[in-house]
Amino acid sequence: MSRRPESRGARTDAPPAAPAAEPRSWVPRYLCNVLLWLLPVWAAWALATPAYNGFLLASGANLLHLTERPAVTIFHRLDADDAGVERRDFPPGRALAGSFRVTDLHFHLVLLAALFLAVPGISWRRRLENLGWAVLATVFFDIFLVFLYVKFLYATQLGTWSLAHYGALARNVYGLGKHLLDLPYKLGLPFALWAGFYLHLVGRGVSAAAAADR
Amino acid sequence: MAKKRAPLTAPPPPAAEPGPGWWRRYRREIRFLALFLLLLGAGFALVSLQWVNDHAVEPFTAGIARASGAALDLLGQHTTLQGTVIRSPRFTVNIRNGCNGVETMLIFLAAVLAFPATWRARLLGLGLGIAAIQVVNLVRVVALFLTGAYLPRLFDASHTVIWQTLVVLFGVLVWIYWANRFAADGEPAA
Repeated sequence: MSRRPESRGARTDAPPAAPAAEPRSWVPRYLCNVLLWLLPVWAAWALATPAYNGFLLASGANLLHLTERPAVTIFHRLDADDAGVERRDFPPGRALAGSFRVTDLHFHLVLLAALFLAVPGISWRRRLENLGWAVLATVFFDIFLVFLYVKFLYATQLGTWSLAHYGALARNVYGLGKHLLDLPYKLGLPFALWAGFYLHLVGRGVSAAAAADR
Repeated sequence: MAKKRAPLTAPPPPAAEPGPGWWRRYRREIRFLALFLLLLGAGFALVSLQWVNDHAVEPFTAGIARASGAALDLLGQHTTLQGTVIRSPRFTVNIRNGCNGVETMLIFLAAVLAFPATWRARLLGLGLGIAAIQVVNLVRVVALFLTGAYLPRLFDASHTVIWQTLVVLFGVLVWIYWANRFAADGEPAA
């Protein structure tokens, strides 16, 4: 008998399931589905990237302006992937404080969509609904990442200006925040969201997974 | 010995456990996610310490550079090494944090430790999983070097968007396979 936590409350006098009735695991199908979904998802992400970059920059600027009096940060699109960060209060020749690659902030959406769309044994409606919630959470994460990139730039990358305008605590908070969110949490977010929605499937067969769909 | 699977029955009735409904229903997910995010943050905070970076991450990355250089030499690239830098007459690349597979290893490690499983299953998963991730990362470094040497216009996109996604995806899929195949049948660790 399985000793998994979920089975602790199950009746112990129930007859064991016949081996022939046990469906195969959903994992091989899932691995195959993920690989099949990668290319279409990549294509969709590449097509949506210019518009999403613009949305992220506009939303990031709005979030930054909530912390600025007066609002001084403006973004310039340098090309399809990169953006420059300008401050209106800097001298005209030195207004460009830095630049970053906006596309690098959100390529985890490819991973997220492939992981969510590939789950077998779950209705399409439920799959898309779960993906929608996960994408929404990821969009908020990406906007916050833009905010953190710029704050990190201001707090640590502008030499004496940074030292004059940001204290040691702020520099450390923005530095650690950018370090953690830019790589580990950005890359781990799709998996964390997948686990939040589908962890209950792990260890079950296909039909049991479908029955456990919630 | 035949592997035992969880019984094909609905989850146990909620009345068997105390606590509010959402906690009863999602406690496994909440516990896993809280532990996963905590371990992931702690792991990355640890490797960001200067001493750990100098004494563990840099030598590890230099080892990856040596293995990648050897693989590239087998492919006729005639490379020379200097620390974490691989040079050839056509292209030079510096393997830095983000390209050494450490991120994926830490995501995998955090996920394995956060999932209820026996320590034996965890150690088996960590050993085999991390080795597999490093094999894929070796393929990534070699492929990126060749991309930089022969298709330099594609290097930037390959470097971040394509290979980073593939290596992390591989780590996630290895975890799902491990959790389903090995860990789910074991006695949960405390």
